[in-house]
Amino acid sequence: MLFPTIDFAIFFLVAFALSWLLSPFPIYWKLAILGLSYFFYAWWDPKFVLLLIAETAIAQVGGHFIALAKTERGRKWWMIGSVASLLGILGYFKYVGFLAINIDNLARHFGMGNIVPLIQPTLPIAISFFTFMAISYVVDIYRRQLEPARVIDTAVYLAFFPHLIAGPIVRGGELLPQIRRRKDEDHIDYARAMQLIVMGLFKKVVISSYVASAIVDPVFASPKSHSAIDIIMGAWAYAVQIYCDFSGYTDIAIGLALLLGIKFPVNFEKPYSAVDLQDFWRRWHITLSRWLRDYLYIPLGGNRGSEASVARNIMITMILGGLWHGANWTFLAWGALHGAGQVVGHVRRERREKAGLPAIAQGTWRHWIQVFLTFQFVCLAWVFFRATSFTNAFQYLSRLVTGWGTATSLVTPLLVATIAAVLAVQLVPSNVVDRATSFFSRQRFAVQAVLLALVLLVITTLGPTGVAPFIYYRF
Amino acid sequence: MSDDELHEPSSASNAQGTPGSDAPSTRQAHDAHIEPLTLTSAKGFTRTTLPWRRVLGLFAAALAIWLVLDATTLQHNAQVSPVGTRRTVALAILNPIAATSRFLQISRIESTANQLIGRNANGSSRSNLMVVGPKKQKHTTTTSSKGVTTTTLDPLTHPSSAVPLRVLILGDSLGLDLGGSLQNALANTGVVTATLDGKESTGLTRPDYFNWPAELASDLPKTNPQVVVAMMGANDPQDFPGPPDIPFGTAQWNQQYEATVVKFMQEATSTGATLIWVSIPPMQDPGLNARVATINSLQHQAATQVKNVIYISSASILGNAQGQYTAFLLVNGQNVNVRTPDGIHITPDGATLLSNAVIQTMRTQMGIILP
Repeated sequence: MLFPTIDFAIFFLVAFALSWLLSPFPIYWKLAILGLSYFFYAWWDPKFVLLLIAETAIAQVGGHFIALAKTERGRKWWMIGSVASLLGILGYFKYVGFLAINIDNLARHFGMGNIVPLIQPTLPIAISFFTFMAISYVVDIYRRQLEPARVIDTAVYLAFFPHLIAGPIVRGGELLPQIRRRKDEDHIDYARAMQLIVMGLFKKVVISSYVASAIVDPVFASPKSHSAIDIIMGAWAYAVQIYCDFSGYTDIAIGLALLLGIKFPVNFEKPYSAVDLQDFWRRWHITLSRWLRDYLYIPLGGNRGSEASVARNIMITMILGGLWHGANWTFLAWGALHGAGQVVGHVRRERREKAGLPAIAQGTWRHWIQVFLTFQFVCLAWVFFRATSFTNAFQYLSRLVTGWGTATSLVTPLLVATIAAVLAVQLVPSNVVDRATSFFSRQRFAVQAVLLALVLLVITTLGPTGVAPFIYYRF
Repeated sequence: MSDDELHEPSSASNAQGTPGSDAPSTRQAHDAHIEPLTLTSAKGFTRTTLPWRRVLGLFAAALAIWLVLDATTLQHNAQVSPVGTRRTVALAILNPIAATSRFLQISRIESTANQLIGRNANGSSRSNLMVVGPKKQKHTTTTSSKGVTTTTLDPLTHPSSAVPLRVLILGDSLGLDLGGSLQNALANTGVVTATLDGKESTGLTRPDYFNWPAELASDLPKTNPQVVVAMMGANDPQDFPGPPDIPFGTAQWNQQYEATVVKFMQEATSTGATLIWVSIPPMQDPGLNARVATINSLQHQAATQVKNVIYISSASILGNAQGQYTAFLLVNGQNVNVRTPDGIHITPDGATLLSNAVIQTMRTQMGIILP
């Protein structure tokens, strides 16, 4: 069930009413939300609800026995066992086919013939997201940052439908207390929620769909047929597409949760205004960045040790972060590029600080140059993220050199204006959204209803007839 | 949200009005006496809160108004959805709303908006055509002194960058998988102008959703193709909408589908082009695979009835030795993943194999010399 569909609107209307009607009765509220969330997930493939239940059971049992264990060694083994089980499930569904084909091809290269069975399991939607949440739940209990929750609480935490499919990756410490607490049924921050939902829909249905069909899909499908200008604009357009697609989803998820009385953490903070890659990752998919930092980078050693150790830790974290998005060498390359860029940035910061300079160069011009260069690097990495293969990525990039004689066919004033507008919103401070939300909140009920309906009409009119699934649904 | 400050009840900001005076229920009276909170954003802008029942009312009212404003589009979307209970229920709800919307002229808001952005009957606001390759050479028309006009057609078998071969590729999402790869490969020859026209979730069973014959009629004069490559049908195993509906799996359905495909093939070859029809590859799901086999069989029968149609069985290219579904194939001693994890679509490597087969067919069966 996609968010921008009538099916979901009807589903949410029912879920909203049921949630608040049952709000005074916590156990019934939890059961209802759990049932609704499993129904929402089963819309794609009912059998994978069992997988979600299995991961919930592993997290619950693991968390329970970690807390019960009398020795540190016992706690550690329960933690390792639970995390390994969760990663095993994720690995089987997401990576086994990729690993098998690469191992088999390597074996063939050395004349060893077929040594592993080639299988390709169907990838359950959202498995990467709920597995990471389950891992964080177990590890947080191991670290004594979280108390084990009741089964029903853990199940709702992992399956809560607004975040289930593509995040944000919410931590137990953030969501479990809200699940247990009775929500304030008399004071819903509806104006903010509606603003998030409407903006998310607009970004996804109108902007992301438009730039995808206008330039991104054609240039990546056939890069050799397009000019260097098309190629450059195509990469910038993809940066806009994936931002509008993913942050649009997140906006809707945060808005829906807010209507149900639950607050999610922020997931995007104007990422294309970043001055370097470290700054970018503090602004892009923030809940994944902090997960990778807290459960991978810091356990690896983090910033401690020599420059070489830090560089190794960054590279491992970013490469695994890349592979989290999918079992493909292009995702690995995307992660490696970001890792290498961050290593360079880290060394630069360290050296500047040793020389008594600020870690980031100051001054207006320097600021804008750094923002520009960071954005170009991010776009370069996006080429690998979007490309279907290395061949496709290198064909794409080679046109930056060879594509100057070809006529530009896809760049239109509307496309340029759209890309510029999305980037300008991130780069130039503005009160427009807050002002509009405040204005909406002050209107009478009937005016608010008509305004919302008109905005929906604009979105459905400007959007395509069938909305493609969110990009991050694949991860 | 973390940037918001919460202010305790503010009597000055009761912006949601008062409930109706006609015998309010206890709950309404309760809601009416709730003081809204005023929240202030980091930038100093305020907004108020509402009780959940009023939010539900707002949500429902906005959806209801939108339903009326957008009724004709929603009705159309319901009409073009797969035949079944869901469609019947949706139409039962939307038909009277759309009729009312038209009667009250409310639907004109939406139709005017659609006109303003130039959306056409196939739901697209712009051409779906993606053209790549050397610039198309116009036909050379000469008039002799005796007044006899002769037209020199572009050579088919010896295309060049000056006189490129014109290829039109059509398809659904599987056709787009093939089309992107084929278009790129053809464009790389430097002697082919390849045009791709594809749309996901389409086929020949539901012209009310996407009218491929009309799309083709529009594409032919624009592209003047010498070769048409088509791959579609995976979305076709569904009832023909009536009344009366013609259920998939019946003899009547088979007859109608075959006739539809024959007509489409005749149209594609009507300007003298050769049509290369690529069948749907085997599917992982046994049920879908059986349905697709029916479609392939009918398309194959249709291909034998129309001149200048070459039929390529993709099962022989993407299937295993028995022509059954496989996700992996051994190519030049290396395993290649040819199908996506959904068990339906084709990976870029799979699409390369299929497009190589199409190009090979153009070379061997049509005698076209490509670099």
